[in-house]
Amino acid sequence: MIQKTATRNPKVWFFAERTLIYALIAVFLFITLSPLVWVLSTSLKPNTEAISFPPKLLPENPTIDNYLFVLTDPTLARSLINSFIISIGSTALSVAVSSLAGYAFARFEFKGKNVIMSVILGLFMIPIVINIIPLYTMLANFNLLNSLVALMLTFQILIIPLNILLMKNYFETIPKELEEAALIDGCSRLGVLRRVTIPLSMPGFAIAAVLSFRFSWNEFILPVVLANRSDSMVFQVALYQFISLYRIDWGYLSAGITLSIIPVLVLMLTFQKQMIKGLTLGAIRE
Amino acid sequence: MPAIFEKAEPYLFLTPALAILLVFLIFPLFWNTYISLHDVSLTTILREWEYIGGTNFINLFNDPNFHTSLKITLMFVGGSVALQFGIGMLMSVLLHQQVRASGVLRAIFIIPWTISAVIAAFSFKFILDYNFGILNYLLNGIGLQSVGWLSDPNIVIWSLVIANVWYGTPFTILFLTAGQLSINPTIYEAAVIDGATKIRSFIHITLPLLKPFIVINLILITMWSVNFFDIQLIMTGGGPLFASTTASLYMYRQAFEFGLLSKGASAGIVLIVINLSIAFIYHKLFRR
Repeated sequence: MIQKTATRNPKVWFFAERTLIYALIAVFLFITLSPLVWVLSTSLKPNTEAISFPPKLLPENPTIDNYLFVLTDPTLARSLINSFIISIGSTALSVAVSSLAGYAFARFEFKGKNVIMSVILGLFMIPIVINIIPLYTMLANFNLLNSLVALMLTFQILIIPLNILLMKNYFETIPKELEEAALIDGCSRLGVLRRVTIPLSMPGFAIAAVLSFRFSWNEFILPVVLANRSDSMVFQVALYQFISLYRIDWGYLSAGITLSIIPVLVLMLTFQKQMIKGLTLGAIRE
Repeated sequence: MPAIFEKAEPYLFLTPALAILLVFLIFPLFWNTYISLHDVSLTTILREWEYIGGTNFINLFNDPNFHTSLKITLMFVGGSVALQFGIGMLMSVLLHQQVRASGVLRAIFIIPWTISAVIAAFSFKFILDYNFGILNYLLNGIGLQSVGWLSDPNIVIWSLVIANVWYGTPFTILFLTAGQLSINPTIYEAAVIDGATKIRSFIHITLPLLKPFIVINLILITMWSVNFFDIQLIMTGGGPLFASTTASLYMYRQAFEFGLLSKGASAGIVLIVINLSIAFIYHKLFRR
C-alpha cells in the first residue's frame, strides 16, 4: 500500500528515501563516535568515578589528573618520546627511499622493470605478522632487540611497497617535458631533481609521509615482540604493558588512549582529500 | 656522463628500497621455513639449533588447540569481512547520494581507521567489561541479564568481531568512496534520463564499474582479518583458554607465550598457505 502511494507520489517517495538515508547515516555516526566519546569522558573523570557503577556519561568532577599522570610517569613519558623518534625517523627514511624507487619506475626504462614492480606489489600482500618469529631470531642473534634503529628499519616493510606505488603514480603525473626543458637549459640531473621535480612533488611526499607516520605510530605487533624493554618501548606497547603493571586503571588508560589518537588524527583530517585522491590513483593505475 | 653509469642509474635509485625489503621482508620469509624445520625455543635461541624435520608440523596438526584456532579464524574472518564489506559498501553509497556535509561525515567516519588497533581494542574492552562496562549497564537498564562478552567462550569471538568491524570498516568506506569518485557522473545522468531507478543504476552501473575496487578491497580486508591479531591479543589474550585464539594469534602465543618459536614458525607457514589460497580463490571468483 505504502509502496503504491509512494510510486504514485514522487515527492513522498523522495522524502521517504532522504529520511532513510539520513537515519542510517545517523546510526552509523553514533556507532562510530560513541566509543571515542565514552573514552574521552572517562579520561576526564577521577579514578574512583571512572569505574563507578552505574556509569555516568559526563564526569561529575572533571579533572586533568589522568593526563598529568600519563605525561609524568617515567615509562609512559619515555615511550611517548620513543614513539615520536621512531615515527618521524621511519617516515623520513621511508619517504626518501620510496621516492627514489618510485622515481626510477616513473622515469626510466630498464631491464627487469616489470618483474621488480610485480614483486613489490606482491610483497604488499605478504602478511607482515608471519615475519615476527624470523625477525625476532635474526635480531636476537645480532643483539639488536630493543634497538630503536632496528625498529625503524623493520617498520619499513609495512610502508615501502605502498609508498613506492604512490610515489611512482605521483611522479607520472608530472610532465616529463618540464624536466627535459630544465636539462636543455643546462641544469644537471641532480639540479633538475632539486629545482623541478622535488618542489612539484611536494603533495605526493605529503601523502606518503602521512601514511608512513600513521603506520609507524600505530604499529603494535612488531614493537611488542622486538622492543619490549621499558626504555625502548613505544607508546602503544607501553599502554599494553600498563594493564599488567597496574590493575587496569581505566582513567589513566583512557587518558593515554586520547593522547595517542591526537597526532595521527590531526594529520589524517588535514590531508583527507589528498588521501582519497592518492588511493584512487593507486587503484586505478593497477 | 659515461654510458655504464647511465645504465646503472635506475638500479642505484632502487637499491636502498630493495635492500631493506630483501633483508627485513624476503629473507625472513625463507628463514621462517628454516626455523620450522628445527627445534628452537626462546631459551635455546642462541645455541645450536637441532634439525628435527617435520616434527613441528606433526605436533601442530595433532594439537586440538590448533584445530580450534582454525575454526575460530573462519568465524572471525567470515564475520569481519561480511560486516565490514556490507556496512562499508552501504555507507559509501549513501554518502554518495548528495548528502549534506558529506565531506565532514566522511572525515568523521575514517576516524577509527586512523587510530591504532591497540586503542580500538582497549576502548571495546572497557565498554564490554562484565562488571562496569556500559553495555551491560544498558542491558540491565532494559531488564536483561549481564552478558559475559569477553568471558563466555561461545560469545567472545563475536565480541572481537564487533571491535574489528568498528576498527576496519572505515577503510572499506574510504576505498569504495575513492572508487565511486572515479566513476564519471554523466553515466548516472544518462541512466536517470533513461528512467532507471537508483537501485537499478546501482546494480547495473555502480557495481560493474566498481568491481576492480571491490576485488582489491575484499582481498585486503580478508587478509587483514586472517593475519591481524592485535585486537584479540589485547582484549582477551586469546582466552578464555583458546576460545578466541585465531590461527595468527596461535602462532604468536606458541612463540612468545609458550616459547616454542619453531612450532609458531610452522603455524606461520600454514598461515601463508591460507593467504595464498584466499588470493587464489578471489582471483578465480572474480575473473570475468
